[in-house]
Formats: sequence, structure tokens, C-alpha cells
Amino acid sequence: MNYPFWDVPVSYGVLMAVIAVFHVFVSHFAIGGGLYLVVSEHLARKAGDARRLEFLERLSKFFVLTTLVAGALTGVGIWFIIGLISPTATEALIHNYVWGWATEWTFFVVEIAAAMIYFYGWKTMAPRAHMAVGWIYFVFAWLSLFIINGIVTFMLTPGQWLATGDFWDGFFNPTFWPSLVLRTGVCVMLAGLYALLVVARCEAGGFKERTVRWSAGWGVAGLAVTAVCQYWYWKAIPAAVTAKALQTMPTPIHSMEISVWLAVAIGALLVVFGLLAPRKLGYGAAAALMVLGLAWFGAFEWFRESIRKPYILAGYIYGNGVEVAQADRYKKEGLLAQMAFKTGDDGADLFRHACQSCHMLNGYKALKPAFDGMDRAFIAAIVRATHQLKGNMPPFPGTAAEAEKIAGYLGHHTDKRPLAEIYKLEGVELGRKAYAIRCGVCHVIGAASDKSQSFAGQSADDLNNMLNTAADLGEGMPAYTGDAAERKALVAFLQELGKGGKK
Amino acid sequence: MNLPDYQFISAPLWLVTVLHLLTLSLHFMAMNFLLGGVIITLLSNARKRWDDATAVKFARLFPAATAATVTLGVAPLLFLQLVYPRQVYAAAIVSGWFWLGVPAAVIVAYYALYRASFAGQRTGRAGKAVLLLALAGLLYVSLVYSSVFSMAEQPGLIRDLYARDQSGFVWNPAVGDYALRWLHMVFGALTVGGFFVGLLGRNDVEVFATGKRFFVGGMVAAALVGMAYLLALQEHLLALMRSPAIWALTASVLLSLVSLHFFFKKNFWLSGIMLFLSLAGMVFVRHTVRLLRLAGEFDLASWRVAPQWSPFAMFLACFVVMLVVVAWMLRMFFGAKKSAA
Repeated sequence: MNYPFWDVPVSYGVLMAVIAVFHVFVSHFAIGGGLYLVVSEHLARKAGDARRLEFLERLSKFFVLTTLVAGALTGVGIWFIIGLISPTATEALIHNYVWGWATEWTFFVVEIAAAMIYFYGWKTMAPRAHMAVGWIYFVFAWLSLFIINGIVTFMLTPGQWLATGDFWDGFFNPTFWPSLVLRTGVCVMLAGLYALLVVARCEAGGFKERTVRWSAGWGVAGLAVTAVCQYWYWKAIPAAVTAKALQTMPTPIHSMEISVWLAVAIGALLVVFGLLAPRKLGYGAAAALMVLGLAWFGAFEWFRESIRKPYILAGYIYGNGVEVAQADRYKKEGLLAQMAFKTGDDGADLFRHACQSCHMLNGYKALKPAFDGMDRAFIAAIVRATHQLKGNMPPFPGTAAEAEKIAGYLGHHTDKRPLAEIYKLEGVELGRKAYAIRCGVCHVIGAASDKSQSFAGQSADDLNNMLNTAADLGEGMPAYTGDAAERKALVAFLQELGKGGKK
Repeated sequence: MNLPDYQFISAPLWLVTVLHLLTLSLHFMAMNFLLGGVIITLLSNARKRWDDATAVKFARLFPAATAATVTLGVAPLLFLQLVYPRQVYAAAIVSGWFWLGVPAAVIVAYYALYRASFAGQRTGRAGKAVLLLALAGLLYVSLVYSSVFSMAEQPGLIRDLYARDQSGFVWNPAVGDYALRWLHMVFGALTVGGFFVGLLGRNDVEVFATGKRFFVGGMVAAALVGMAYLLALQEHLLALMRSPAIWALTASVLLSLVSLHFFFKKNFWLSGIMLFLSLAGMVFVRHTVRLLRLAGEFDLASWRVAPQWSPFAMFLACFVVMLVVVAWMLRMFFGAKKSAA
């Protein structure tokens, strides 16, 4: 709570994803592409293949323009954006890993210098020296990955660091090796995909066919390593985290599933256009492969980011920037008392610091539709019990009075008309909507928290009695505060649920 | 479980400060070459004082200079965030969109400079337009940095601005506070740019004269604006006069004059070294001004120091390897170029 809050109309997650996914897509190519260039150059020189050398020189120009500018600067962009959206976590990371980053910087300097010398040295440098620079480039680029991988995996699986605070315990954490090998596989795969994009523009013929096959081979090999490591990576995440994700967190699971299907699609395209019919590889197919590669990386990174919930640094800092070690104190003393920057509107300040890192009022993970038609008491009850809601949310880090203030702020921005009027619904359909808003935030139909079966055989009076005593049914359960029409509709819907019927 | 505390500095403060100031000086040198070089190229072309070949020779260096500026800028920003996260992030958040625009502006400038570099002799109106685009990007970055880092020295101002607007569209309203600082930096860039023009055009009377004009003119203008900035510091000026920074400031002024002397003698090695040392002295003064302005709000001594020696040793070893490998690659590259010529 030492920082102001950047109140933007775009979701932090989306902002981060746009910059980060683009960066990783280029930066992994920057590593694999370096290996592709130098290995291919070695083979071309050995075979005296001038055409191939000419192609590689062209590829290296594309490589330098893509990686040194867009790749490097979007990396800086990630650094800029994390300082804006998660300053506390960034501060914690920098304090713990400044020498990791500083070391990575030395690799970065060599990498940049080597890339430029490699590119500008095609015509002037002796082949051996030129290839030596190429190898230096690749080794130092991969070492950059080695360091950054340690810090990125630390965020999900800090391992023993939580107990010892030791640099190396956090660095060589449980997902370090699977992630490193996985990302190395991605580098190799992307080298193939980018090369296919460049070679797709070459004239049809023997050279194109050979180069397409060679590049597709890189794609397939990298994809195979990636696929195996994705499973290894999943198994290296603590079982409690993956089990929780499977039970209550659809986002990482869907992302993982999507990434698997995208990998299948990439593999199929590579085999068909790259290995079986390389002559048919056109710019469209190569571009499609790039798009699929980008989508695959996006899905994987989305999985990695979302499975970390409710934390930004697992077990250490929650997604809203509240330090786990300070959470009890905040709850006792209040969140407002910790804020170094205030606006004078307590409700807004509390909403920003407690909720807005993940939830917008409108837009991404919007709260307005979640609370339209609800009263302040219900909203406050939900705010107080965030850690019990679906989706693995952090606990509310403030006092009960502060939850009321957030409820007041949210209530001010939501539609106060009854649900029936807002959504123009009646009967069971209105009940379904009421269930989704009032009950479904915890009791997801079909999931472990589903209580449908307990409604079997219950009369309308039984269910009304249950609603009357809702607040006493368990920790965090809000009192039922809907109007008569909504109550009647909800009871009808619960009866339907009890029958195992319409869901 | 007692979770580890992250609020510590993982090396003695003096070591972090030395690394910060050293890398920042190197970054400024590269940045000044780039910004000053682009301005001088544009001005000289506009007045047709330069033949195209020299401009092309200079423009070819811009992508490498951009790479050096960006790369050398990463380390000081890292060390700055290590010691002053509360100040830097707070100021950056208040100006969030402008801050986030920095990498975007550098990407545009970088591509524009590559375009100018590849265009070579085929420059002309289009070449000037691309250079102007690059200049706009570079000036944007320098203005945002001046604005944000100046704001970071005034936590009270950040609190006031944030209370009024949380959108991240807040520009530092204390224009007088950073305008002089920014102008000083731009004139400093012209000085360094002038030095490099003189160096590259040392065998051409007219080009050397251009470099000399910018070197001397930039230095005089930077000195005048710098003095105005110091006077504008008001109550902090007295404290600065009493601090060791006043010796650094005096030495920097003298070193810049010595640098000028060697420049006239065309002893570029000594001139360059003196210029760099002068710049490093100014960087130390800048650092002192920051601490003076933050006094009362922030005390360096409040940091808990808990050195991580083994990771630091890894960094140090890699730093040495970096120097050796880069030097070897440059030797191979320039050696081959010389042989080819």
C-alpha cells in the first residue's frame, strides 16, 4: 500500500498480456533464431552453399530488426508495466533478485553486441570468426533465458525460499528445470516458424524445398520437446495448486487445454506443409503457423499467470499487492491506514487497492453486472468473504467497516432496480439469474461446491426457510436480501435444480 | 511461518551507488551521442554545411548508438529501482501512460534510425523525415524522464497530483522544475554530439569546424542552463554548496574545459576521457541533488543492508566475462573491417 494506484479503463491482465505475450514470442525466437542461424551457416559453409548463405544473411537482417528492436524494447516494456500495475511485487522481486537481473544484463550486453557484429560482419569477417560470434550470441542469449527463467518460475513456485529467503533456494525452484527445457524447446520451435515465414517468400524450387524441410524440422523438434515438458512442468507444480485449479479455476485449465489443441494444430501444419509437401508452403500457411505459435504462447503464459491465483508471488504477495505476512495486520488496522496515497474517496481507494488489480467495474471480470440489482448488505457480505468465492480469490484485506465502504462505492455504480426489471426476466429464468448472482459465486452447478442435490424433494416453504436463515448456514454465507418476486423465482429455480432438471 | 522480508538492499549501499552512477554515466554518454548526433545531423543537413558522405557515416552509427543507449540504460534503472522504488514507481504511476509510452517511442525512434542507416546515400527528404521522427521519439523519452524523475524527488507533489487525478495522464505541472534540467541535458547532448562529429570528421576541415561549434556552443549553453538550474534549487543550493558535490561540480567544469583543450589539439582520446569524467562528476551532483530534495521524506540510511555475496560474485564474474567477450568481438570486427579496407 506504499504506492498510488493506476486507475485505467483497461484490465491490468490484458495490458500485461498484450506486452508480455508479444515479447516472449519475439525473445524466444531471439534465442532459437540465433542457434538456427549459426548452425545453418556452419552447414552452408561446409557445403559451399552460396544460395543458403545469402538466405541466412537476409534472415539475419530480419532477425536483428525483429529481436534487437521490438524484442528488446518490449522486454523493457514489461519492466515498465509491472512497475505500474504491481509495484509492490516488482519491488520485492528487485530486492531479492537484483543480482540475478544485473547478471542477466551482462548477458544482454554481449547478446546485443554479438547480434550487431554478426549481422554487420557477414561481408567482412572471416567465416570462423563470424561463426564464433554467432555461437557467442546464442550462448549468451540462452544464458539470459536461464536467469529470467529462474525469476519467472520463482513467482509461481518459490519452494524453500518462503522458509529460508535464500536467493538460490528461490532461483532453483521446483519448476525451474521443466520450464527451462520447455522454453528451450519453444525457442527451437519458433526459430523454425520464423524461418518458414522468410523462406515462404523465396522462389519455388529445390532451395526453397530444402530450406522449408530443414526449418520445419526445427519446428517439429522444438514442438516435441515443448509437449513433453509441458506435462513435466504441470507435474512440477505443487499438487495442491493443480488440484485446486482443477476444482475451482477454469481459466488456467481452459488455457492449458487450448494450448494443447494449438500445439496439435501447429504440429499438423508443420508436418503437412513442412515435411510432406514443402513445395506447397506459401506465405499464408507460414503466417498461419506464426499466428498459431503466438496463440499457443499466449495460452501457455495465460495458464502460468492464472494458475498462480490468488497470488502474484505465490505464498508471498497476493494479486492485489497485499503482502501475505501483513494481511492479518491490515485486517485489524484497516487497509486505509496503510495507504500512502489517497484521493479523499475512501470507497474508491479501497476498491482500487483491494479489487481493481483483477476486476474492473465494467469490462474484464466486471463487477457491475455481478452486483446489478443487489443491495449494499449483500455486496458487503460478498466483499468480506472473497476468499470463499469461486476462482481462488485472495482474502479481503480490510476491516468490516471498509467492506461496507467498498459496498457503498460499488452500490453507487450499479443498477439499483430489481433483477426482474433490469434483465426483463420472470419465473424460473429470473430465478436462474438470481442464483447466478447470489449463489453461483460460490456454488457452481456441476462443480464440487454444487448443492443442487440437497434441494431434492424440498418444498417451496422449506426453501424459503433456507433462504431466511442463509446467513447462518456457513461461514461467509450472505443473508438473502432479494425482493418477493426474486425470492419466488429463485425458489422455483432451486426446485428445478432439486429435480435434477433444467440447469 | 515467518516469511522473508523483502525490504532490504542486497549489497553495501556505496557499492550499489557506485554501480548506479557508473552505468548511468555510460548511458548518458551513449544517449548524448545519439540525441546530439541526430540533432546535429538534421541541423547540418538543413544548412547544407555537411557533405552527404559524412552525414551517412554518422547516420550509420545511430542504430548501434541506440542499442548502446538502451542496453546501458537498463542497469542504472535497475539500481535506481532497487534503492528508490517508492519514489520512482509512485511518480511513474501518476504519469503512467506517458511512462508506458517510453518503450513505444524508443521502438519508433529505433526503427526510424535503422531506416535512416540502411537508406545510406539515398537520403533526402524522406531521410530527413525519418530522422525527424527519430528525434521526436528521443525528445519524448527525454522529456518524460525529466518530468517523472523530477517528480520522484517530490513525494508531496505526487501525493497532491494523485489526489486530483488517478488516470495516469498527469504531466508534472512544475515545468520550471524540470525544464531547465531537461534543457541542460539537451545542450549536454549537443556537446557530446559535437565531440563525436569532430572525431569522425577530424580529417575534414569543415566537418571538424561543425563539431567544434557544437562542442563549444553546447558546452556554454549547458553551463548557463546548469547554473540557472542550480539557482532554481533555492533552499537546496546552500546545502549543495556545503556537500562534497560542490567539489565534483568544480572538477566537472574544469574537466570539461580540459576536454575542450584536447579537442582543439585533436587529441580525442584524452578529450573523450575528460569529457566522460566531467559527465560522471555531473551525474554525482545530480545524485546529491536528489538526496537533498528527498531529505525529510527519505533517508538512505533507513535501508536494511543484507548482502547476497554469492549472487553478487556471479554478477561480478559475468561482468568481467562481458568486458572480455565484447572487447574480443569488437577487435575481430574492426580488425576484419580494416583488412577489408
